[in-house]
Amino acid sequence: MAARRVRDVALYLVFIAVIMVLPLFVEDYALNQVARFLVYGILGVAIALSWGYAGILNLGQGLFFGLGAYMMAMSLKLASNTSLQQGSDKPVPDFMLWNAEPGAKTDLCCISKASFLWIPFQSQWFGLAMAIVVPVAIAALAGSIMFRNRISGVFVSIMTLAMVLLVRLLIIDAQPVTNGFNGLTDLGFFKIGDFVLDNYGLPLYYIVAAVLALTLLLTRLLVETRAGLILQATREDANRCLYLGFDVPMYQTFFFCVSAAIAGVAGLLYANVAQFASPTFMDLSFSISMVVWAAVGGRNSLLGACLGAILIHLLEDAMSKTPALVESWKAIIGLVFVLSVLFMPKGIAGLASDFGDFLARRLPRPRRTGLTADPPQVARESKS
Amino acid sequence: MNSHSAALTIDDLSVDFLGLRAVDGVTMIVREGELRVLLGANGAGKTTLMDLISGKTPSTQGRIHLYDLDITNKPPDAIARAGIGRKFQIPSVFKELTVRQNLEVGSCRRRGVLSNLRLGFPGEQTRRVDEVLGTIALLDRADTLAADLSHGETQWLELGLLIVQDPKVLLLDEPTAGMTQSETLKTARIIRELRGRHTIVVVEHDMAFVREIAERITVMHLGKVLAEGDIATIESDPKVRAAYLGTKGIH
Repeated sequence: MAARRVRDVALYLVFIAVIMVLPLFVEDYALNQVARFLVYGILGVAIALSWGYAGILNLGQGLFFGLGAYMMAMSLKLASNTSLQQGSDKPVPDFMLWNAEPGAKTDLCCISKASFLWIPFQSQWFGLAMAIVVPVAIAALAGSIMFRNRISGVFVSIMTLAMVLLVRLLIIDAQPVTNGFNGLTDLGFFKIGDFVLDNYGLPLYYIVAAVLALTLLLTRLLVETRAGLILQATREDANRCLYLGFDVPMYQTFFFCVSAAIAGVAGLLYANVAQFASPTFMDLSFSISMVVWAAVGGRNSLLGACLGAILIHLLEDAMSKTPALVESWKAIIGLVFVLSVLFMPKGIAGLASDFGDFLARRLPRPRRTGLTADPPQVARESKS
Repeated sequence: MNSHSAALTIDDLSVDFLGLRAVDGVTMIVREGELRVLLGANGAGKTTLMDLISGKTPSTQGRIHLYDLDITNKPPDAIARAGIGRKFQIPSVFKELTVRQNLEVGSCRRRGVLSNLRLGFPGEQTRRVDEVLGTIALLDRADTLAADLSHGETQWLELGLLIVQDPKVLLLDEPTAGMTQSETLKTARIIRELRGRHTIVVVEHDMAFVREIAERITVMHLGKVLAEGDIATIESDPKVRAAYLGTKGIH
């Protein structure tokens, strides 16, 4: 066990080192693309935590990602030039003006019925905070209702799936405040003091890379805690845990919220990197494809799911450059999913881990007793 | 409190499933450190009685006390925290965790999420895990995945999961179900080792096993307590012979 943990940590560090030196080899335009992929990698970690470790197959992870992106994009929208040139000294998003009733006051307070909701988003830090708070609040509410009522397995998947579609519909429907189908585009940049985070700039890339590195390490640390072990026990047998005295719904809700927070962070970063937020983030196909990334990469491994997300996007990117393959992309990704479920149920990570074990067995082994400290022997009373 | 105070007090307990009284006015006192065997034919209400004590099924009448604490109809996790450990008929352990990790989960004294957001286990907890690994004789299997254990070993591991919590009362529902004879004997040895340190209630069919471990037996029939006493008393009780054992005696 200990040897495997060392190997894991080494792999994490190699991966982090790679994403940190990548800008040396990649030009600026492509760097933005890489940053997007790293954001998907963060999402992969969120999926592995909830699906792999907690056993909660969330088919609506896009809800938390999308809300994170929207919250951030609202702030960024207000920072864009077009929002500032609407005949008012306060920023008003352009689409609100296009949709406004004739004669409505061009101010966030009253240009449309719910536009006042945008007022606090003039602070970018507020938007940033909400990108985490809102997903977590929804996860806490939905999680405590579902898990307190002992809903589990496929029913959780169906409910999360319904939730993401519901919110998607609400956002499209609330056109006057969300710009509906079109989403929020033409965004401004995030400012830290006077420093502007250009989406093609190196600083934003490094922020994304650092957040991914931190997410990987902290989430790994989290699942290594006693609570993380107990969480895995609830995945294996929730009933047994209940009868050992653990408040199982509390554990599930807690980690569901952590997963939502990570997805929210991914969403807010995506809004910065890609400069838009759209209802397509809450499309069913997007949430399902996240599950595919984790399945291919290895849902029981945080790094595996993260790599799965990145690799699939690299593949998609490579194929989109070949016109003949663009159309068949969906079929190919489906095939990859089916094959990996059939032939490598633990994904790439599982395959790599088995290979590592194989190598470890093949290599000349140090003295047996040197490997692990033997647990103290306990005298066993043998009575007849 | 002296060592003979009542650990588990069941007072006039009943449950009514739409007219079927699976447990019907059961009164029973289990003293601290006692090993009590529940005997009875299928449908006598033994497992239902355990369900009522452990909070799986809410009762419709009567009270259950763990020492002075009223645990009637509390949620299962609260009852477990109060000090009742329940082993199920079908062994349930955490299959994708190692034997040691299983016991580590059981050894967590505080059960909340936030109080467990720490790395590693205190030395005292680790010592207790090692001790229990010895008791259930799985020391050499500590790093094996629970999924790879034999049926008997799985049963012992689940027993270990409970023991490591140091519950005040252990409820064991057919701990030897599906075991070979030698496994059954080993289980009897483990349970005898626990006697005195824990208060134990065992549901069991296997008479050889009952003879190995029993001190005091409660015989149930159609949801009611039919007789109570040591094995000789039970064997010679005409009511028990008529209702459960047939005329041939315990075999």
